Amino acid sequence: MKRKRIKKTFALLLATSMLVVLALSGCSGGKSVGDVAPSGEGDSGKSGSSGEKVTITHYTIDSEDRTFIEKLIPDFEAKHPNIKVKVEKAPYEQFDSKLQTLIAGGKSPDVTSHYGYGGFAEYYNKDMLLDLSDIIKEDGFKASDYSIPDDLMKIYTVKDHVYGIPVNMYVTLMLYNKDMFDAAKVPYPPSDYEDKSWTFDKMVEDAKKMTHVSDDIAKTQYGVDFTWSERDMRPLYFGVEPYSQDTWSNGGVPSETHFDSPDVIAAYNKLFNLILKDKVSPTTEWSKSVAGQNGDAFVTGKLGMTVSGSWSLAGSNDFPFKVGVAAVPAGGNDKVRSVLFVDPLLILKGSKHPKEAFEWIKYLVSDEVQEKSIDLSGGNPPVNTKAAETYYKHFDGIDPADVKKVYEGAVKYGFESYNHLITNYSQINDMFINEMQPIDTGHKTVEEVMPTIQKKVMEIIKR
Amino acid sequence: MSTIPAAGPTASPSVTKRRRKVDGVSIASFAALIVTTFLMLLPLFFMVSTSLKSKKELLRFPPTFLPDSWQWSNYKEIFETLNFGQMYMNSLIIGILTVVGTLLSSALAAYGFARYRGKGSNFWFMLMLSTMMLPYPAIMIPQFILFSKLNWLDTFLPLIVPAFFGSAYNIFLLRQFFSTLPDELFDAGRIDGCSEFRMWRQIALPLSGPALATVAIFAFIYSWNDLLTPVLYLSSSDKFTLPVGMSSFTSSRFRIPPWHLLMVASVLAMLPIVALFAVAQKRFVEGIVLTGIK
Repeated sequence: MKRKRIKKTFALLLATSMLVVLALSGCSGGKSVGDVAPSGEGDSGKSGSSGEKVTITHYTIDSEDRTFIEKLIPDFEAKHPNIKVKVEKAPYEQFDSKLQTLIAGGKSPDVTSHYGYGGFAEYYNKDMLLDLSDIIKEDGFKASDYSIPDDLMKIYTVKDHVYGIPVNMYVTLMLYNKDMFDAAKVPYPPSDYEDKSWTFDKMVEDAKKMTHVSDDIAKTQYGVDFTWSERDMRPLYFGVEPYSQDTWSNGGVPSETHFDSPDVIAAYNKLFNLILKDKVSPTTEWSKSVAGQNGDAFVTGKLGMTVSGSWSLAGSNDFPFKVGVAAVPAGGNDKVRSVLFVDPLLILKGSKHPKEAFEWIKYLVSDEVQEKSIDLSGGNPPVNTKAAETYYKHFDGIDPADVKKVYEGAVKYGFESYNHLITNYSQINDMFINEMQPIDTGHKTVEEVMPTIQKKVMEIIKR
Repeated sequence: MSTIPAAGPTASPSVTKRRRKVDGVSIASFAALIVTTFLMLLPLFFMVSTSLKSKKELLRFPPTFLPDSWQWSNYKEIFETLNFGQMYMNSLIIGILTVVGTLLSSALAAYGFARYRGKGSNFWFMLMLSTMMLPYPAIMIPQFILFSKLNWLDTFLPLIVPAFFGSAYNIFLLRQFFSTLPDELFDAGRIDGCSEFRMWRQIALPLSGPALATVAIFAFIYSWNDLLTPVLYLSSSDKFTLPVGMSSFTSSRFRIPPWHLLMVASVLAMLPIVALFAVAQKRFVEGIVLTGIK
């Protein structure tokens, strides 16, 4: 009796749950039918015909220096009545996951940039990017009309096919704490790249005068933090190239690397000696303890000089001390002293309206919008050479002439950051951070670590 | 305290021994508890203190314990810089519905697993438990395709509806609890003509206060803190939840994050969790006292 009853109830429960599932799917089915009609226009895939209104999606990071483009949309839509722009946002950490999911789910955005961990080369090798060459030819787009230097256009051109239009350019520069220089009575470093007296050795000499290491962490200060680019790129500063030349022409897949060569080891030793021998630079632990996990120790006023991306300039108005900008000192590489971080606007392969997306890109890189964007974004550096003049004047208390010299020198002696150019870069970078940690703490030597790194880099590239 | 050992010898030996032991242990344990309490409260203290600091003071090293000037305006600023009220509401709506859904579905499924023994019921239980082994990234894309086909993108549905289909961990937790309820109670109910559903509702649920409170807390905290799912499914700013909005503070690689505002948001975001815990804790105790079971 009891058993029978239980069986009956079970059957009833099963039936009910199946009904619920049916009702749910039926309900949602009905809903989707209702929804298709109004949104159909935007997604119908009939691009190009000018009479129809088309919606394009710009996928970006959810932070003020990126989402300012929302303020430009009304003006753009007024000029292009047939195009509607939608901004889709994600936090930095989730940027890549969301992008991959959107593409896999058939909801690919139209325009984006490599704002997450993955760089251009990663997108290119995953076949996510649309070749813009045909659109450019049809449109008659010329970089010079938009004051974009040809050198910068070349960065995102692979085998004569253009995959991205540069929009912002960050450079590597030196920031220095004027208060610390004054206290140590050391003259300020020059902003002119042609001043040949400003060398790596001179920098170490100056740094020694400002370094005080004390048991009291509050009194400890260091002369320089030489965080030039990511770890794998640093040998280039001394004129040593660890990746083979073909990397830069074939879309970021090196045929060979030389991380265990004597030249590379010597270059790393020179850098680690700043921490271990000269003791003018802080260890990673010290930086983390004063500035937090991802913080910048320079803003606490405990560092005399720092080599860093020009994005640090944007926060300089809030620093609790006076700031100056200087050239990156000469380290033995006649051609490269600064690392460039050029952000391109890309059209994704899944875009249903590439032509309209290109109109939006052209709008964003136009002289007028590039100039407007500096203020709207709170100090994003434009690629546009005309708008750049406005950018140089953007920072309180820093001489515009210095910013200009530092920028122009950086472009002349610049090389695009490896993180945009080499495939699977986020994995390479994580590996470098982990493997080099023991050198920083003095547990291993550069000579011990580099053969392992060389092996692992090649493994990651082949993935 | 030091007088107690002195008084010891006059009392009977057994009492003295017992008292001394208790005193020593309790002093030590209280001291340890107080120290740990302070250690545990230190991050909370810094969170509140940082939320009241000015932008300049944030960067100072070594950091100050208390703000030099108390910036109560930070609490106003958060509502001006972010659409904070809206995000709070969104998070609450999703959180509350998730709790309702999880409680309903998990309690039903758990009741079934605990009280009915059919052919292969162990197999189905194991199968359900095995879904716990699937990491979210593995089902992220298929689930996204499913919800996008249902036209649920940019709605709260993908965040709420799955809760109404149970969660393996909570079903497991409740099943274990339901199994401890004595059969006699259900037999008595059955004699009085109670339906199976009514037994679930009027016998099993009221006796499971502590377990349900635990599940409610777990479900709410999970939904309240979840970042990846809302990031994937929501695209309009007015639908964003608190974690999505708060992550925008630290999203720029190029700017110093406004820690003071982030801390304000964290203090405010913590309140519902604290309130829920206070309420649920009471149920917890009630459950034990009133039922007299377990």
